[in-house]
Amino acid sequence: MGNPFIKNIKIFTVYILIWVFISIIHNIVIVFLLDVKLEQAFTESIVYNTLYFLLGISLWYTVSYNTLENYTPVKIFINHSAAAVITSAIWVLSGYYILINIFNDDASYKTYLFNSGIWRFMIGILFYSITVAVDYVIIYYNNFRQKLFRESELNALVKEAELKSLKYQINPHFIFNSLNSISSLTLSNPDKAREMTIKLSSFLRSTLSKNEKQKSKLVEEISNAKLYLDIEKVRFSDKFEFVEELESECKDMEIPSMILQPLFENAIKHGVYESLFKVVIKLKCGPEKEYLKIIVENNYDPESVPRKGEGIGIKNIQQRMKLIYNQDNLVTVEKNNGLFKVNIFIPR
Amino acid sequence: MGQRIKALIIDDEKLARDIVKTYLGKYSSIEIIGECTNGFDAVKMISEQEPDLIFLDIQMPKLTGFEMLEIIDNPPVIIFTTAFDQYAIKAFEVNATDYLLKPFSEDRFADAINKAVKQIENKSGLDKKLDGLLKHIENREEFLERVVIKSGQKISIIPVNEIKYIEARDDYVMIYSDKGNFLKQKTMKYFEENIDPAEFIRIHRSYIVNIMYVKQIQLLEKETYNALLHDSTKLPVSKSGYQDLKKFFDK
Repeated sequence: MGNPFIKNIKIFTVYILIWVFISIIHNIVIVFLLDVKLEQAFTESIVYNTLYFLLGISLWYTVSYNTLENYTPVKIFINHSAAAVITSAIWVLSGYYILINIFNDDASYKTYLFNSGIWRFMIGILFYSITVAVDYVIIYYNNFRQKLFRESELNALVKEAELKSLKYQINPHFIFNSLNSISSLTLSNPDKAREMTIKLSSFLRSTLSKNEKQKSKLVEEISNAKLYLDIEKVRFSDKFEFVEELESECKDMEIPSMILQPLFENAIKHGVYESLFKVVIKLKCGPEKEYLKIIVENNYDPESVPRKGEGIGIKNIQQRMKLIYNQDNLVTVEKNNGLFKVNIFIPR
Repeated sequence: MGQRIKALIIDDEKLARDIVKTYLGKYSSIEIIGECTNGFDAVKMISEQEPDLIFLDIQMPKLTGFEMLEIIDNPPVIIFTTAFDQYAIKAFEVNATDYLLKPFSEDRFADAINKAVKQIENKSGLDKKLDGLLKHIENREEFLERVVIKSGQKISIIPVNEIKYIEARDDYVMIYSDKGNFLKQKTMKYFEENIDPAEFIRIHRSYIVNIMYVKQIQLLEKETYNALLHDSTKLPVSKSGYQDLKKFFDK
Protein backbone atom coordinates (compact mmCIF):
# COMPACT_ATOMS: atom_id res chain seq x y z
CA MET A 1 0.00 0.00 0.00
CA GLY A 2 1.38 3.44 -0.93
CA ASN A 3 1.67 6.31 1.49
CA PRO A 4 -1.91 7.60 1.91
CA PHE A 5 -0.60 11.04 2.93
CA ILE A 6 0.72 11.42 -0.60
CA LYS A 7 -1.61 9.16 -2.60
CA ASN A 8 -4.93 10.13 -1.08
CA ILE A 9 -5.81 13.77 -1.73
CA LYS A 10 -8.49 13.77 0.97
CA ILE A 11 -6.17 12.54 3.71
CA PHE A 12 -3.50 14.94 2.49
CA THR A 13 -5.83 17.95 2.72
CA VAL A 14 -6.95 17.02 6.22
CA TYR A 15 -3.30 16.56 7.20
CA ILE A 16 -2.42 20.08 5.96
CA LEU A 17 -5.38 21.61 7.79
CA ILE A 18 -4.36 19.91 11.04
CA TRP A 19 -0.87 21.39 10.78
CA VAL A 20 -2.23 24.84 9.97
CA PHE A 21 -4.36 24.56 13.12
CA ILE A 22 -1.39 23.41 15.22
CA SER A 23 0.67 26.33 13.88
CA ILE A 24 -2.00 28.81 14.93
CA ILE A 25 -2.19 27.32 18.44
CA HIS A 26 1.59 27.36 18.58
CA ASN A 27 1.58 31.07 17.71
CA ILE A 28 -1.06 31.94 20.23
CA VAL A 29 0.62 30.03 23.04
CA ILE A 30 4.10 31.46 22.61
CA VAL A 31 2.93 35.02 21.93
CA PHE A 32 0.49 35.30 24.82
CA LEU A 33 1.96 32.96 27.40
CA LEU A 34 5.69 33.20 26.71
CA ASP A 35 5.82 36.80 25.41
CA VAL A 36 7.66 35.92 22.21
CA LYS A 37 7.65 38.68 19.58
CA LEU A 38 5.03 38.23 16.90
CA GLU A 39 7.53 38.07 14.04
CA GLN A 40 9.67 35.50 15.83
CA ALA A 41 6.67 33.46 16.91
CA PHE A 42 5.42 33.35 13.34
CA THR A 43 8.78 32.22 11.94
CA GLU A 44 9.27 29.69 14.71
CA SER A 45 5.90 28.06 14.21
CA ILE A 46 6.46 27.85 10.44
CA VAL A 47 9.91 26.28 10.84
CA TYR A 48 9.01 23.72 13.52
CA ASN A 49 5.63 22.77 12.17
CA THR A 50 6.77 22.48 8.53
CA LEU A 51 9.57 20.23 9.73
CA TYR A 52 7.18 17.93 11.56
CA PHE A 53 4.74 18.11 8.72
CA LEU A 54 7.40 16.50 6.51
CA LEU A 55 8.65 14.11 9.20
CA GLY A 56 5.09 12.96 9.84
CA ILE A 57 4.64 11.93 6.22
CA SER A 58 7.81 9.86 6.27
CA LEU A 59 6.82 8.17 9.54
CA TRP A 60 4.35 6.18 7.45
CA TYR A 61 7.18 4.02 6.20
CA THR A 62 8.35 3.02 9.68
CA VAL A 63 4.78 2.17 10.56
CA SER A 64 4.11 0.09 7.48
CA TYR A 65 7.26 -1.92 8.23
CA ASN A 66 6.41 -2.47 11.88
CA THR A 67 3.21 -4.47 11.59
CA LEU A 68 2.15 -7.44 13.66
CA GLU A 69 2.62 -9.63 10.61
CA ASN A 70 6.34 -8.82 10.57
CA TYR A 71 7.32 -8.42 14.23
CA THR A 72 6.31 -9.31 17.75
CA PRO A 73 4.56 -6.58 19.79
CA VAL A 74 7.62 -6.18 22.03
CA LYS A 75 9.89 -5.68 19.06
CA ILE A 76 7.48 -3.14 17.59
CA PHE A 77 7.38 -1.23 20.88
CA ILE A 78 11.20 -1.10 21.07
CA ASN A 79 11.46 -0.01 17.43
CA HIS A 80 8.98 2.78 17.91
CA SER A 81 10.52 3.99 21.17
CA ALA A 82 13.88 4.30 19.47
CA ALA A 83 12.35 5.94 16.42
CA ALA A 84 10.40 8.39 18.62
CA VAL A 85 13.55 9.53 20.41
CA ILE A 86 15.60 9.86 17.23
CA THR A 87 12.84 11.62 15.29
CA SER A 88 12.16 14.07 18.08
CA ALA A 89 15.86 14.82 18.55
CA ILE A 90 16.31 15.47 14.84
CA TRP A 91 13.26 17.67 14.82
CA VAL A 92 14.25 19.77 17.84
CA LEU A 93 17.88 20.19 16.79
CA SER A 94 17.30 21.01 13.13
CA GLY A 95 14.63 23.57 14.09
CA TYR A 96 16.99 25.02 16.66
CA TYR A 97 19.82 25.49 14.18
CA ILE A 98 17.61 27.04 11.54
CA LEU A 99 16.12 29.53 14.01
CA ILE A 100 19.37 30.61 15.70
CA ASN A 101 20.74 31.34 12.26
CA ILE A 102 17.75 33.49 11.38
CA PHE A 103 17.64 35.38 14.70
CA ASN A 104 21.37 35.41 15.23
CA ASP A 105 21.51 38.78 16.99
CA ASP A 106 18.70 38.27 19.52
CA ALA A 107 20.37 36.80 22.59
CA SER A 108 17.19 36.50 24.69
CA TYR A 109 15.39 34.58 21.94
CA LYS A 110 18.37 32.21 21.67
CA THR A 111 18.22 31.51 25.40
CA TYR A 112 14.52 30.96 25.18
CA LEU A 113 15.03 28.52 22.28
CA PHE A 114 17.71 26.64 24.19
CA ASN A 115 15.68 26.39 27.38
CA SER A 116 12.53 25.28 25.64
CA GLY A 117 14.38 22.39 23.91
CA ILE A 118 13.38 19.77 26.47
CA TRP A 119 9.72 20.78 26.19
CA ARG A 120 9.86 20.64 22.44
CA PHE A 121 11.37 17.20 22.73
CA MET A 122 8.39 16.06 24.82
CA ILE A 123 6.01 17.54 22.27
CA GLY A 124 7.96 15.71 19.55
CA ILE A 125 7.36 12.41 21.36
CA LEU A 126 3.66 13.28 21.64
CA PHE A 127 3.44 14.12 17.91
CA TYR A 128 5.21 10.89 17.11
CA SER A 129 2.79 8.82 19.16
CA ILE A 130 -0.28 10.47 17.66
CA THR A 131 0.97 10.20 14.07
CA VAL A 132 1.91 6.55 14.50
CA ALA A 133 -1.43 5.76 16.11
CA VAL A 134 -3.30 7.38 13.23
CA ASP A 135 -1.14 5.51 10.70
CA TYR A 136 -1.97 2.19 12.36
CA VAL A 137 -5.66 2.99 12.28
CA ILE A 138 -5.41 3.75 8.56
CA ILE A 139 -3.51 0.53 7.87
CA TYR A 140 -5.91 -1.70 9.77
CA TYR A 141 -8.94 0.00 8.36
CA ASN A 142 -7.61 -0.53 4.85
CA ASN A 143 -6.77 -4.17 5.53
CA PHE A 144 -10.21 -4.69 6.92
CA ARG A 145 -11.83 -3.17 3.84
CA GLN A 146 -9.65 -5.26 1.56
CA LYS A 147 -10.57 -8.39 3.44
CA LEU A 148 -14.26 -7.62 3.13
CA PHE A 149 -13.80 -6.96 -0.57
CA ARG A 150 -11.89 -10.20 -1.09
CA GLU A 151 -14.49 -12.19 0.76
CA SER A 152 -17.36 -10.81 -1.27
CA GLU A 153 -15.44 -11.43 -4.49
CA LEU A 154 -14.72 -14.97 -3.41
CA ASN A 155 -18.35 -15.61 -2.64
CA ALA A 156 -19.33 -14.32 -6.04
CA LEU A 157 -16.86 -16.65 -7.73
CA VAL A 158 -17.99 -19.70 -5.79
CA LYS A 159 -21.59 -18.88 -6.68
CA GLU A 160 -20.60 -18.52 -10.30
CA ALA A 161 -18.84 -21.88 -10.35
CA GLU A 162 -21.78 -23.57 -8.69
CA LEU A 163 -24.21 -21.97 -11.05
CA LYS A 164 -22.16 -22.96 -14.07
CA SER A 165 -21.86 -26.49 -12.87
CA LEU A 166 -25.54 -26.64 -12.11
CA LYS A 167 -26.37 -25.20 -15.49
CA TYR A 168 -24.16 -27.75 -17.13
CA GLN A 169 -25.53 -30.70 -15.19
CA ILE A 170 -29.13 -29.85 -15.75
CA ASN A 171 -28.63 -28.82 -19.35
CA PRO A 172 -30.44 -30.83 -21.99
CA HIS A 173 -27.32 -32.35 -23.38
CA PHE A 174 -26.35 -34.05 -20.18
CA ILE A 175 -29.66 -34.88 -18.63
CA PHE A 176 -31.71 -35.90 -21.66
CA ASN A 177 -28.90 -37.92 -23.12
CA SER A 178 -28.55 -39.69 -19.78
CA LEU A 179 -32.28 -40.35 -19.75
CA ASN A 180 -32.05 -41.60 -23.31
CA SER A 181 -29.34 -44.04 -22.23
CA ILE A 182 -31.62 -45.27 -19.46
CA SER A 183 -34.46 -45.62 -21.91
CA SER A 184 -32.24 -47.71 -24.14
CA LEU A 185 -30.97 -49.82 -21.24
CA THR A 186 -34.49 -50.72 -20.14
CA LEU A 187 -34.70 -52.73 -23.34
CA SER A 188 -31.30 -54.33 -23.33
CA ASN A 189 -30.19 -54.40 -19.71
CA PRO A 190 -32.84 -53.49 -17.12
CA ASP A 191 -30.48 -54.00 -14.16
CA LYS A 192 -28.07 -51.50 -15.52
CA ALA A 193 -30.92 -49.13 -16.28
CA ARG A 194 -31.92 -49.21 -12.64
CA GLU A 195 -28.36 -48.63 -11.53
CA MET A 196 -28.02 -45.67 -13.86
CA THR A 197 -31.30 -44.18 -12.64
CA ILE A 198 -30.03 -44.35 -9.07
CA LYS A 199 -26.70 -42.80 -9.98
CA LEU A 200 -28.31 -39.99 -11.89
CA SER A 201 -30.71 -39.34 -9.03
CA SER A 202 -28.07 -39.21 -6.34
CA PHE A 203 -25.92 -37.03 -8.51
CA LEU A 204 -28.73 -34.57 -9.18
CA ARG A 205 -29.63 -34.58 -5.52
CA SER A 206 -26.11 -33.70 -4.47
CA THR A 207 -25.95 -30.99 -7.09
CA LEU A 208 -29.24 -29.42 -6.18
CA SER A 209 -28.54 -29.42 -2.45
CA LYS A 210 -25.09 -27.88 -2.60
CA ASN A 211 -24.27 -26.49 0.79
CA GLU A 212 -22.52 -23.22 1.38
CA LYS A 213 -19.29 -24.78 2.57
CA GLN A 214 -16.16 -23.18 1.17
CA LYS A 215 -14.01 -26.22 1.77
CA SER A 216 -14.54 -29.94 2.01
CA LYS A 217 -12.51 -33.10 2.33
CA LEU A 218 -10.65 -34.34 -0.72
CA VAL A 219 -12.36 -37.76 -0.61
CA GLU A 220 -15.80 -36.14 -0.56
CA GLU A 221 -15.00 -33.99 -3.56
CA ILE A 222 -13.63 -36.98 -5.42
CA SER A 223 -16.61 -39.20 -4.69
CA ASN A 224 -19.01 -36.56 -5.92
CA ALA A 225 -17.02 -36.01 -9.08
CA LYS A 226 -16.88 -39.76 -9.61
CA LEU A 227 -20.63 -40.01 -9.54
CA TYR A 228 -20.66 -37.66 -12.48
CA LEU A 229 -17.96 -39.64 -14.29
CA ASP A 230 -19.88 -42.88 -13.71
CA ILE A 231 -22.89 -41.48 -15.53
CA GLU A 232 -20.81 -40.29 -18.45
CA LYS A 233 -19.16 -43.71 -18.42
CA VAL A 234 -22.49 -45.37 -19.10
CA ARG A 235 -23.01 -43.08 -22.07
CA PHE A 236 -19.49 -43.40 -23.45
CA SER A 237 -18.43 -46.78 -22.10
CA ASP A 238 -15.95 -47.38 -24.86
CA LYS A 239 -14.68 -43.84 -25.15
CA PHE A 240 -13.01 -43.09 -21.87
CA GLU A 241 -11.33 -44.53 -18.87
CA PHE A 242 -10.82 -43.00 -15.44
CA VAL A 243 -7.63 -43.67 -13.51
CA GLU A 244 -7.10 -42.52 -9.96
CA GLU A 245 -3.88 -42.39 -7.96
CA LEU A 246 -4.59 -41.16 -4.48
CA GLU A 247 -2.01 -41.26 -1.72
CA SER A 248 -3.84 -42.27 1.43
CA GLU A 249 -2.40 -39.52 3.62
CA CYS A 250 -4.15 -36.92 1.44
CA LYS A 251 -7.65 -38.28 1.85
CA ASP A 252 -8.72 -36.09 4.73
CA MET A 253 -7.07 -32.93 3.54
CA GLU A 254 -9.34 -30.01 2.88
CA ILE A 255 -9.68 -28.46 -0.54
CA PRO A 256 -11.93 -25.66 -1.78
CA SER A 257 -15.24 -27.17 -2.81
CA MET A 258 -16.25 -27.38 -6.46
CA ILE A 259 -12.78 -27.21 -7.94
CA LEU A 260 -12.41 -30.84 -9.06
CA GLN A 261 -15.73 -31.26 -10.75
CA PRO A 262 -15.36 -28.44 -13.31
CA LEU A 263 -12.05 -30.00 -14.33
CA PHE A 264 -13.67 -33.36 -15.03
CA GLU A 265 -16.48 -31.66 -16.92
CA ASN A 266 -13.84 -29.92 -18.93
CA ALA A 267 -12.07 -33.18 -19.72
CA ILE A 268 -15.33 -34.81 -20.80
CA LYS A 269 -16.54 -31.87 -22.84
CA HIS A 270 -13.35 -31.07 -24.70
CA GLY A 271 -11.66 -34.44 -24.52
CA VAL A 272 -14.29 -37.16 -24.78
CA TYR A 273 -17.02 -35.38 -26.75
CA GLU A 274 -14.62 -34.18 -29.42
CA SER A 275 -12.37 -37.17 -29.77
CA LEU A 276 -12.58 -40.23 -31.99
CA PHE A 277 -10.27 -42.35 -29.88
CA LYS A 278 -10.24 -43.42 -26.27
CA VAL A 279 -9.55 -40.74 -23.71
CA VAL A 280 -7.89 -41.50 -20.39
CA ILE A 281 -8.76 -39.11 -17.57
CA LYS A 282 -6.22 -39.31 -14.78
CA LEU A 283 -6.46 -37.93 -11.26
CA LYS A 284 -3.34 -37.86 -9.11
CA CYS A 285 -3.20 -36.52 -5.57
CA GLY A 286 -0.11 -36.44 -3.42
CA PRO A 287 1.91 -34.26 -1.09
CA GLU A 288 4.61 -32.10 -2.57
CA LYS A 289 6.66 -29.97 -0.17
CA GLU A 290 4.24 -27.77 1.76
CA TYR A 291 1.45 -28.38 -0.74
CA LEU A 292 -1.12 -30.95 -1.65
CA LYS A 293 -0.68 -31.40 -5.38
CA ILE A 294 -3.66 -32.41 -7.47
CA ILE A 295 -3.25 -33.25 -11.13
CA VAL A 296 -6.10 -33.79 -13.54
CA GLU A 297 -4.96 -34.77 -17.00
CA ASN A 298 -6.53 -36.12 -20.14
CA ASN A 299 -5.41 -36.80 -23.65
CA TYR A 300 -7.35 -35.09 -26.40
CA ASP A 301 -7.46 -34.91 -30.16
CA PRO A 302 -5.07 -32.08 -31.05
CA GLU A 303 -6.77 -31.78 -34.42
CA SER A 304 -10.16 -31.02 -33.01
CA VAL A 305 -11.11 -27.42 -33.59
CA PRO A 306 -11.57 -25.58 -30.31
CA ARG A 307 -15.02 -24.33 -29.53
CA LYS A 308 -15.99 -21.29 -27.60
CA GLY A 309 -16.18 -21.49 -23.84
CA GLU A 310 -12.87 -23.20 -23.33
CA GLY A 311 -10.88 -22.17 -20.31
CA ILE A 312 -13.63 -20.24 -18.53
CA GLY A 313 -14.02 -22.93 -15.89
CA ILE A 314 -10.28 -23.05 -15.29
CA LYS A 315 -10.03 -19.28 -15.04
CA ASN A 316 -12.69 -19.32 -12.36
CA ILE A 317 -10.73 -21.92 -10.40
CA GLN A 318 -7.56 -19.86 -10.73
CA GLN A 319 -9.27 -16.75 -9.42
CA ARG A 320 -10.80 -18.60 -6.52
CA MET A 321 -7.54 -20.23 -5.47
CA LYS A 322 -5.87 -16.84 -5.58
CA LEU A 323 -8.53 -15.28 -3.39
CA ILE A 324 -8.66 -18.12 -0.90
CA TYR A 325 -4.91 -18.51 -0.40
CA ASN A 326 -3.76 -15.04 -1.44
CA GLN A 327 -1.06 -16.57 -3.62
CA ASP A 328 -0.41 -16.66 -7.36
CA ASN A 329 0.36 -19.62 -9.59
CA LEU A 330 -1.47 -22.24 -7.56
CA VAL A 331 -3.18 -23.46 -10.71
CA THR A 332 -1.13 -24.16 -13.81
CA VAL A 333 -2.22 -25.53 -17.15
CA GLU A 334 -0.05 -27.50 -19.55
CA LYS A 335 -1.19 -28.36 -23.02
CA ASN A 336 1.10 -30.20 -25.38
CA ASN A 337 1.35 -33.29 -27.55
CA GLY A 338 -2.32 -33.97 -27.16
CA LEU A 339 -2.14 -34.02 -23.37
CA PHE A 340 -4.09 -31.52 -21.32
CA LYS A 341 -2.92 -31.21 -17.76
CA VAL A 342 -4.06 -29.03 -14.88
CA ASN A 343 -1.92 -28.85 -11.73
CA ILE A 344 -3.40 -27.52 -8.53
CA PHE A 345 -1.32 -26.75 -5.46
CA ILE A 346 -3.25 -26.53 -2.21
CA PRO A 347 -1.24 -24.97 0.62
CA ARG A 348 -1.42 -27.18 3.72
CA MET B 1 -43.01 -51.76 -52.19
CA GLY B 2 -40.24 -53.63 -53.88
CA GLN B 3 -36.99 -52.61 -52.33
CA ARG B 4 -36.22 -52.27 -48.66
CA ILE B 5 -35.40 -48.82 -47.33
CA LYS B 6 -31.73 -48.44 -46.48
CA ALA B 7 -31.20 -46.73 -43.14
CA LEU B 8 -28.04 -45.40 -41.50
CA ILE B 9 -27.75 -44.52 -37.80
CA ILE B 10 -25.37 -41.72 -36.90
CA ASP B 11 -24.77 -41.10 -33.20
CA ASP B 12 -21.71 -41.08 -30.99
CA GLU B 13 -23.40 -42.88 -28.11
CA LYS B 14 -23.81 -46.61 -28.37
CA LEU B 15 -26.95 -46.79 -26.24
CA ALA B 16 -28.57 -44.12 -28.35
CA ARG B 17 -27.86 -46.13 -31.49
CA ASP B 18 -29.11 -49.29 -29.77
CA ILE B 19 -32.55 -47.92 -29.07
CA VAL B 20 -33.02 -46.79 -32.67
CA LYS B 21 -31.88 -50.23 -33.79
CA THR B 22 -34.30 -51.95 -31.42
CA TYR B 23 -37.24 -49.81 -32.53
CA LEU B 24 -36.34 -50.34 -36.18
CA GLY B 25 -36.29 -54.11 -35.65
CA LYS B 26 -40.08 -54.13 -35.98
CA TYR B 27 -40.06 -52.68 -39.49
CA SER B 28 -39.38 -55.39 -42.00
CA SER B 29 -39.36 -52.84 -44.83
CA ILE B 30 -36.35 -51.05 -43.38
CA GLU B 31 -32.84 -52.42 -43.43
CA ILE B 32 -30.05 -50.99 -41.29
CA ILE B 33 -26.99 -50.73 -43.49
CA GLY B 34 -24.67 -49.36 -40.88
CA GLU B 35 -23.88 -47.24 -37.86
CA CYS B 36 -21.54 -44.30 -37.61
CA THR B 37 -20.09 -42.72 -34.50
CA ASN B 38 -18.96 -39.42 -36.00
CA GLY B 39 -19.53 -37.03 -38.87
CA PHE B 40 -16.43 -38.00 -40.84
CA ASP B 41 -17.40 -41.66 -41.08
CA ALA B 42 -20.94 -40.66 -41.91
CA VAL B 43 -19.90 -38.50 -44.88
CA LYS B 44 -17.94 -41.42 -46.27
CA MET B 45 -20.67 -43.95 -45.60
CA ILE B 46 -23.38 -41.80 -47.17
CA SER B 47 -21.46 -41.26 -50.38
CA GLU B 48 -20.56 -44.96 -50.65
CA GLN B 49 -23.78 -46.63 -49.57
CA GLU B 50 -26.34 -43.98 -50.51
CA PRO B 51 -28.85 -44.68 -47.75
CA ASP B 52 -32.47 -43.59 -48.18
CA LEU B 53 -32.87 -42.56 -44.56
CA ILE B 54 -30.53 -41.35 -41.85
CA PHE B 55 -30.99 -40.97 -38.12
CA LEU B 56 -28.76 -38.09 -37.20
CA ASP B 57 -27.49 -36.76 -33.89
CA ILE B 58 -26.35 -33.14 -33.80
CA GLN B 59 -23.60 -32.97 -31.20
CA MET B 60 -20.84 -35.31 -32.32
CA PRO B 61 -17.06 -35.25 -32.42
CA LYS B 62 -15.38 -33.59 -35.40
CA LEU B 63 -18.41 -32.62 -37.44
CA THR B 64 -21.79 -31.73 -36.02
CA GLY B 65 -24.86 -33.17 -37.72
CA PHE B 66 -25.50 -29.84 -39.46
CA GLU B 67 -21.94 -29.45 -40.65
CA MET B 68 -22.07 -32.96 -42.05
CA LEU B 69 -25.23 -32.18 -44.02
CA GLU B 70 -23.58 -29.13 -45.55
CA ILE B 71 -20.97 -31.20 -47.32
CA ILE B 72 -22.91 -34.19 -48.61
CA ASP B 73 -24.18 -33.99 -52.15
CA ASN B 74 -27.52 -35.79 -52.27
CA PRO B 75 -28.92 -35.71 -48.76
CA PRO B 76 -31.21 -38.64 -47.94
CA VAL B 77 -34.34 -38.29 -45.85
CA ILE B 78 -33.28 -37.07 -42.42
CA ILE B 79 -34.66 -37.77 -38.97
CA PHE B 80 -32.79 -35.85 -36.29
CA THR B 81 -32.38 -37.54 -32.93
CA THR B 82 -31.03 -35.15 -30.36
CA ALA B 83 -31.31 -33.91 -26.80
CA PHE B 84 -31.25 -30.28 -27.90
CA ASP B 85 -34.56 -28.62 -28.59
CA GLN B 86 -33.09 -25.33 -29.77
CA TYR B 87 -32.14 -26.64 -33.20
CA ALA B 88 -35.62 -27.67 -34.33
CA ILE B 89 -36.12 -24.68 -36.60
CA LYS B 90 -32.70 -25.05 -38.12
CA ALA B 91 -33.42 -28.73 -38.67
CA PHE B 92 -36.45 -27.93 -40.79
CA GLU B 93 -34.42 -25.36 -42.69
CA VAL B 94 -32.27 -28.21 -43.90
CA ASN B 95 -35.45 -30.08 -44.87
CA ALA B 96 -35.39 -32.61 -42.09
CA THR B 97 -38.39 -34.89 -42.10
CA ASP B 98 -38.69 -35.09 -38.35
CA TYR B 99 -36.98 -34.08 -35.17
CA LEU B 100 -36.98 -36.60 -32.33
CA LEU B 101 -36.14 -35.28 -28.91
CA LYS B 102 -34.27 -37.76 -26.75
CA PRO B 103 -35.57 -39.75 -25.04
CA PHE B 104 -38.43 -40.54 -27.40
CA SER B 105 -41.24 -43.10 -27.22
CA GLU B 106 -41.86 -45.90 -29.65
CA ASP B 107 -45.09 -44.23 -30.80
CA ARG B 108 -43.33 -40.98 -31.53
CA PHE B 109 -40.67 -42.94 -33.39
CA ALA B 110 -43.38 -44.69 -35.42
CA ASP B 111 -44.79 -41.30 -36.48
CA ALA B 112 -41.40 -40.25 -37.72
CA ILE B 113 -40.93 -43.48 -39.64
CA ASN B 114 -44.35 -43.09 -41.28
CA LYS B 115 -43.50 -39.60 -42.44
CA ALA B 116 -40.13 -40.73 -43.71
CA VAL B 117 -41.53 -43.73 -45.56
CA LYS B 118 -44.13 -41.56 -47.28
CA GLN B 119 -41.51 -39.12 -48.32
CA ILE B 120 -39.20 -41.79 -49.68
CA GLU B 121 -42.06 -43.44 -51.62
CA ASN B 122 -43.30 -40.41 -53.49
CA LYS B 123 -40.13 -38.32 -53.30
CA SER B 124 -42.25 -35.25 -52.82
CA GLY B 125 -39.84 -33.47 -50.62
CA LEU B 126 -40.84 -31.46 -47.63
CA ASP B 127 -44.00 -29.46 -47.64
CA LYS B 128 -42.94 -26.32 -49.44
CA LYS B 129 -45.42 -24.20 -47.53
CA LEU B 130 -43.66 -25.05 -44.29
CA ASP B 131 -40.34 -24.35 -45.89
CA GLY B 132 -41.48 -20.89 -46.95
CA LEU B 133 -42.86 -20.15 -43.54
CA LEU B 134 -39.65 -21.07 -41.80
CA LYS B 135 -37.66 -18.64 -43.88
CA HIS B 136 -39.41 -15.80 -42.05
CA ILE B 137 -38.57 -17.00 -38.61
CA GLU B 138 -35.54 -15.30 -37.20
CA ASN B 139 -33.41 -17.97 -35.67
CA ARG B 140 -30.08 -16.34 -35.17
CA GLU B 141 -29.31 -16.91 -31.55
CA GLU B 142 -25.90 -18.25 -32.46
CA PHE B 143 -23.27 -17.12 -34.92
CA LEU B 144 -21.09 -19.43 -36.92
CA GLU B 145 -18.08 -20.70 -35.03
CA ARG B 146 -16.53 -22.68 -37.81
CA VAL B 147 -16.95 -23.40 -41.48
CA VAL B 148 -16.75 -26.86 -43.00
CA ILE B 149 -15.51 -27.38 -46.54
CA LYS B 150 -15.25 -30.51 -48.60
CA SER B 151 -12.88 -30.54 -51.51
CA GLY B 152 -12.67 -33.95 -53.14
CA GLN B 153 -12.26 -36.43 -50.33
CA LYS B 154 -10.77 -33.91 -47.96
CA ILE B 155 -12.85 -32.24 -45.26
CA SER B 156 -11.49 -29.04 -43.75
CA ILE B 157 -12.80 -27.34 -40.66
CA ILE B 158 -11.91 -23.66 -40.36
CA PRO B 159 -12.62 -21.75 -37.17
CA VAL B 160 -14.15 -18.42 -38.20
CA ASN B 161 -11.52 -16.44 -36.34
CA GLU B 162 -8.92 -17.87 -38.73
CA ILE B 163 -10.77 -16.54 -41.77
CA LYS B 164 -9.06 -13.44 -43.16
CA TYR B 165 -11.68 -12.44 -45.66
CA ILE B 166 -14.42 -13.79 -47.90
CA GLU B 167 -14.67 -12.96 -51.58
CA ALA B 168 -17.79 -13.30 -53.76
CA ARG B 169 -17.53 -15.68 -56.74
CA ASP B 170 -20.92 -15.93 -58.44
CA ASP B 171 -22.77 -18.75 -56.66
CA TYR B 172 -19.77 -19.50 -54.50
CA VAL B 173 -17.54 -17.67 -52.11
CA MET B 174 -13.79 -17.95 -51.77
CA ILE B 175 -12.70 -18.15 -48.15
CA TYR B 176 -9.17 -16.91 -47.48
CA SER B 177 -7.76 -18.24 -44.23
CA ASP B 178 -4.51 -18.98 -42.46
CA LYS B 179 -4.89 -22.58 -43.54
CA GLY B 180 -5.33 -21.76 -47.24
CA ASN B 181 -8.12 -20.73 -49.56
CA PHE B 182 -11.35 -22.63 -49.90
CA LEU B 183 -14.27 -22.45 -52.30
CA LYS B 184 -17.67 -22.92 -50.72
CA GLN B 185 -21.14 -23.05 -52.17
CA LYS B 186 -22.79 -20.37 -50.09
CA THR B 187 -23.77 -16.77 -50.74
CA MET B 188 -22.29 -13.57 -49.34
CA LYS B 189 -25.70 -12.94 -47.82
CA TYR B 190 -25.49 -16.22 -45.91
CA PHE B 191 -22.21 -15.21 -44.32
CA GLU B 192 -23.35 -11.68 -43.69
CA GLU B 193 -26.30 -13.04 -41.74
CA ASN B 194 -24.58 -15.87 -39.92
CA ILE B 195 -21.20 -14.52 -39.00
CA ASP B 196 -20.66 -12.39 -35.91
CA PRO B 197 -20.91 -8.71 -36.99
CA ALA B 198 -18.63 -7.80 -34.09
CA GLU B 199 -15.84 -9.66 -35.87
CA PHE B 200 -16.66 -9.38 -39.57
CA ILE B 201 -17.68 -6.42 -41.70
CA ARG B 202 -18.94 -6.37 -45.24
CA ILE B 203 -16.67 -3.73 -46.69
CA HIS B 204 -17.69 -4.14 -50.31
CA ARG B 205 -20.24 -5.86 -52.52
CA SER B 206 -17.69 -8.63 -53.02
CA TYR B 207 -15.83 -8.66 -49.71
CA ILE B 208 -16.42 -9.49 -46.06
CA VAL B 209 -13.35 -8.93 -43.93
CA ASN B 210 -12.26 -10.11 -40.48
CA ILE B 211 -11.56 -6.96 -38.47
CA MET B 212 -8.67 -8.63 -36.65
CA TYR B 213 -6.75 -8.87 -39.90
CA VAL B 214 -7.19 -5.26 -40.96
CA LYS B 215 -4.00 -3.28 -40.47
CA GLN B 216 -5.10 0.08 -41.81
CA ILE B 217 -7.54 1.85 -44.08
CA GLN B 218 -5.85 3.76 -46.87
CA LEU B 219 -7.23 6.76 -48.69
CA LEU B 220 -6.52 6.31 -52.40
CA GLU B 221 -8.22 9.40 -53.74
CA LYS B 222 -11.25 11.36 -52.73
CA GLU B 223 -13.77 8.95 -51.15
CA THR B 224 -11.98 5.87 -52.45
CA TYR B 225 -10.49 3.60 -49.82
CA ASN B 226 -8.53 0.39 -49.57
CA ALA B 227 -8.28 -1.92 -46.59
CA LEU B 228 -4.74 -3.09 -46.03
CA LEU B 229 -4.49 -6.44 -44.26
CA HIS B 230 -1.60 -7.64 -42.13
CA ASP B 231 -0.45 -9.93 -44.92
CA SER B 232 -0.38 -6.84 -47.21
CA THR B 233 -3.44 -7.87 -49.20
CA LYS B 234 -5.40 -4.86 -50.38
CA LEU B 235 -9.17 -5.00 -50.58
CA PRO B 236 -11.46 -2.35 -52.06
CA VAL B 237 -13.79 -0.59 -49.63
CA SER B 238 -17.11 0.80 -50.78
CA LYS B 239 -18.66 3.99 -49.44
CA SER B 240 -21.05 2.21 -47.08
CA GLY B 241 -18.33 -0.26 -46.17
CA TYR B 242 -16.14 2.65 -45.15
CA GLN B 243 -18.90 3.99 -42.93
CA ASP B 244 -19.24 0.60 -41.24
CA LEU B 245 -15.51 0.28 -40.72
CA LYS B 246 -15.33 3.77 -39.30
CA LYS B 247 -18.21 3.07 -36.98
CA PHE B 248 -16.39 0.00 -35.75
CA PHE B 249 -13.05 1.67 -35.17
CA ASP B 250 -14.61 4.70 -33.51
CA LYS B 251 -16.09 2.47 -30.85
